[in-house]
Order: sequence, then C-alpha cells, then structure tokens
Amino acid sequence: MAGLVRTVGRRFFSAKATTGLTGMAVAKDPHLALRVLYTKTLAALEKLPKDAAYRQHTEGIINDRFDLVKTVPNVAELEQKINCGQIEQVIIQAEAELSLARKMADWKAWEPLVSEAPEGQWKWP
Amino acid sequence: MAASLGRLLHSSGNLLRNGARLKCQPLHTAARALCSNTSGGLTTIRPKDEVMKNQLTVFGEYVAECLPKYVQTVQVTAQNELEVLIAPEGVVPVLSFLKDHHNAQFGSLADIACVDIPTKPYRFELVYILMSLTYNSRIRVRTYTDEITPVESCYSVFKAADWYEREAWDMYGVYFSNHPDLRRILTDYGFEGHPFRKDFPLSGYVEIRYDNELKRIVQEPVELAQEFRKFDISSTWETFPAHRQGSKPLMDTQGRGHEAPPEETPAEEKK
Repeated sequence: MAGLVRTVGRRFFSAKATTGLTGMAVAKDPHLALRVLYTKTLAALEKLPKDAAYRQHTEGIINDRFDLVKTVPNVAELEQKINCGQIEQVIIQAEAELSLARKMADWKAWEPLVSEAPEGQWKWP
Repeated sequence: MAASLGRLLHSSGNLLRNGARLKCQPLHTAARALCSNTSGGLTTIRPKDEVMKNQLTVFGEYVAECLPKYVQTVQVTAQNELEVLIAPEGVVPVLSFLKDHHNAQFGSLADIACVDIPTKPYRFELVYILMSLTYNSRIRVRTYTDEITPVESCYSVFKAADWYEREAWDMYGVYFSNHPDLRRILTDYGFEGHPFRKDFPLSGYVEIRYDNELKRIVQEPVELAQEFRKFDISSTWETFPAHRQGSKPLMDTQGRGHEAPPEETPAEEKK
C-alpha cells in the first residue's frame, strides 16, 4: 500500500501519521482551520483603534501567515515557511491570538497608563 | 541561550499616542564594575551577552508599546533577565497577552513569588515568572499591593496559579479576588498570622507540645531558653557600589581613586 494516494474532494489524502506530541491530534484540514481563525482574528482586530500598536503588529503577523496559508498548499512546506513548529501548533497559536484580540477590545489596553506607581515603589535596593 | 526561533517583530512608525517610546532601562549591578576580561584575565563571571540583551530590550519595548495602559516600566538586568513592572489592575491583561500573543507565547507560569518590603508604600511585591518554550526565554512581571488591596487572580490564564496564589495568601496575606479556592496551604490548621512577613518573628508566637493529661497537642505561647540576640552586622565593604547615594569617597583600599559609576540616562518618557 506504499505510495497510495487517494483524493478526497480537492484534498490529497497524504496527511502525516502523527504530530509526535501527546494529546495533539493531526489536523484534518489545517488550511481551512487557519483560514477561518485568521479571518475571525482580523475581524476582531477591526474593533481596536487603528493606531493601537497591538493591532498594527498583530495584523502584520496574521496577514503574513494568512498569505502563506493562501499560497502554499503543501502542509510540510507551509510548516517550514511559517517556521513556528508544526501546523497543529500554529493552529493553537491562532486560536490563542483570536481569544486575546477579543479580550483586548474589552480591556482597551491602548489607553494611556491607568495608574502610576507611588514614589519609591520600584526603587531597588 | 539565544532564541532559536526569531520573533516576528514588525516595526511601525506610530508607537504611543504622543509618539514617545517607553525606554527599556538597564539595571546596573556590581558585576559590571568587577568584570574586566580584556586580555586573558581569569574571571568566573559570565561574559556579557550584548546580542541577548538587545533582543530582550527590543522585546521589552514591544510589550510596553502594546500594553501602554498597564506597563509602568520595563528593565533588563545585568544577567539578561527581562522585567515588566505593571500596575496591579493589569495582572490578567498582561499575563494573557504574554501567554496568547504570537510574539510572546509565554505558556508556562514558573512561579508566583511575593516580596515583603515594609518600608514601601505598597509593601508586597508580586513577581510572576513566565517561560516561553517556543522562544526559549523567560520574563518577570512585577506588581505591588498591600495587606488590604486585593489583586485579580490569574487562575483564568494559568491554572498553575492556583497553588502559587494560595501560598502567597498563606505566607503573606495577599488576597486574590476570583480565586476558586483561596485557603491555607503550608501552615498548620488553625495557624494565625502570615509567617513570611517581615514583622512576623523567626520563632513564631506559639509552640506546641503533647500534653499527657489532656492526651493531645496543646498550643502555648513560645518560650525560648535564650533571649533573641540581634547582631547589628555592618560589613566593611560597600555592598552596592553601583547604587551610591549622596557623596561618598570614591577610593579603594590602595588609595587610588575610582571613576564615578556611570550616570543612568533618565527615562525619556516614563509612561
């Protein structure tokens, strides 16, 4: 059965057997998962003000990775290009960023400092 | 120890609202004055790693730029350790940012330590130590509080905070709001007081013994055989030469003069 490749719809059924990490299952369609997550994250970032540094940096990162996801169909090559561990780990990172972007809108972390430390608080020794 | 995966840092022109950048401060320590390994001099002090220091400085400024609402200062110690000093309202936001953001990914809470400095306005200093496995680096997040001001628990961010915060409560009396189960963890049942505070005596207030008549352990006020002796130890050597205040003679034992320690550049904008 070596070298047998089946096509299921558009996708080639050549997924890797395991991630090698306990509890982390191989993603069935990483491109779709990442597309969905990045789109949702960009939508969440739209709610932050345009000049917020967090929004600018995160949009840069997400757009870079999104472009790679759109242009690179092969999973192993995509992992190489993104260069941040396995694709399943990249999916987890994307989920984390999405939840963070939503919470940042609530916290409004771009506002100026909420409270200064009292005099001598950070003096050391 | 340099990070194996480079962080994706996108520089953008418009940083803080008023255009100022929070400058990352270097902390001087005595090691800098002592270490002089110019030509074959034997030294057992770790050599300075400027590359690592620059990476940490850049990342520290990045964090300050993304979270201007909570970050008060950022500093890098001489041992290349990054510290982010935040307002206590921002514990959960800053820790969530450091855990979830792509460029940070500090997914592991190594420890929550508490420091008691009674002379300070807010006597307790909370130190959260985070580790990033993707980028092989550590970061310290520091806040402050006192005996009566509660700090938001970060249990929702790091489950490991559960017992660490219980320990801080038990040993220091730092209250964490929205903690699932804040009770004593190290002291005896029915123990009164917070032992790690500086005003709690070394011997404690009670001692226990087995009473034969009552057939159980009883607690009695502590009686020491010898009165507690406090030695006023003052060293003949200056302990923090880089942190001199006021005018002191700058001479070593041979009578040679030293240069004054380098002046710290004042923060451009301490936001």
